[in-house]
Amino acid sequence: MRSLYVSQQGCYLHLRHEMVVIKRGETILDEVQLPLLEQILIFGKSQITTQVIRTCLQRDIPIAYLSRMGYCYGRILPIERGYRYLSRYQQQLSATERLIVAREIVQAKLRNSRVILLRQQRRRSSEITALAIQSLEYLVSQAAQANTVEKLMGLEGAGAASYFSAFGECLTGAGFTFMGRSRRPPGNPVNAMLSFGYQVLWNHILSLIELQGLDPYHACLHQGSERHAALASDLVEEFRAPIIDSLVLYLVNKMVMNPNEDFDYHNGGCYLNDIGRKKLLRAFLQRMEEKHKTEHGDDQPRWDLLTQQIKAFKQFVYSPALGYKPYLIR
Amino acid sequence: MLLYVVTYDIPCDRRRKKVSDLLEGYGQRVQYSVFECVLTTNKYWELRQRLRKKVKKDEDSVRFYPLSGHTLPKVEVWGGLPVVQIPGSVIV
Repeated sequence: MRSLYVSQQGCYLHLRHEMVVIKRGETILDEVQLPLLEQILIFGKSQITTQVIRTCLQRDIPIAYLSRMGYCYGRILPIERGYRYLSRYQQQLSATERLIVAREIVQAKLRNSRVILLRQQRRRSSEITALAIQSLEYLVSQAAQANTVEKLMGLEGAGAASYFSAFGECLTGAGFTFMGRSRRPPGNPVNAMLSFGYQVLWNHILSLIELQGLDPYHACLHQGSERHAALASDLVEEFRAPIIDSLVLYLVNKMVMNPNEDFDYHNGGCYLNDIGRKKLLRAFLQRMEEKHKTEHGDDQPRWDLLTQQIKAFKQFVYSPALGYKPYLIR
Repeated sequence: MLLYVVTYDIPCDRRRKKVSDLLEGYGQRVQYSVFECVLTTNKYWELRQRLRKKVKKDEDSVRFYPLSGHTLPKVEVWGGLPVVQIPGSVIV
């Protein structure tokens, strides 16, 4: 089913019979059939009338309010929806069930990183990249046998180290050098882009988790705490390389980003400035809006990929015996 | 998901308007009183239930024709709108 993303600013959503009409000033931007909607996401400053909100509540359609950067402020849910049952099931997952899923997630992350390097290797081969591809392959097989979460985290770290050492080789845009990952603060433009990109993606995933009524604080791989929504950190892993890393590669190699004008240096780190952030977000949104074929054969924006995975996790919570299949790029 | 062709013949203007407004939410109007809707079973039942409250069986007539995947590719269209597609997400 379909989601409605309102990313333009200053829109006004109102109800006309069974349709949600999206207006900006006097122009009608779109009309969407309410009965076929699954969720509404509002990015930034758009208004919804109480009539739309009330009807959505009656029809069990959640509405999420997010910042333009994708940070979720909160959501509107019918009173009988929300965590409760689902979260109880989530807490009842056994250590073994969680370990099996953690294994799947780490393997998927390593595999996806490997595919990104393979693609770059085809374009421009290098020894370092070939080496990283080999070591990622080895780590995948190791992760399949890991028997503790700590071990998995170790393998994931080792994978990231060899992956990022090769990632620098793939960046050909002038003025962008990348020796390794540095964060808090990011040390150079590439790290700044990666950090910001991961953050945006993480926020989106957290909002979608909220919309599906899962408890974001109970996860499989990461340790949850009162402040750390570990489930978002779990589910972001499989998407890091395919969505953000490949986006950064594109932005650098196609010279979309300017190493001198799009970044600011302060607090001992390198950060995107307003212009740079806009460029990255625009490219991110464009990529997320691109259509891709789903298994059912219909074209959906990439957004739905995220929703699908979160639904898959929800299925796993309801019936853990069936396991969870992370997203793998072909 | 199945494609349903819903047609109606309703003499009362008021009821006809209500039925057509409701159907607009579930599908695409392809002729004055003919709608095509791609629906899951649940949505189909919901539509039927909601329509039932608006229709008087002794005066009106509403027909639902489900099309199987077998006959769907054999649908011929002469003029007007193309056959309705599976609804996707919308970004504004």
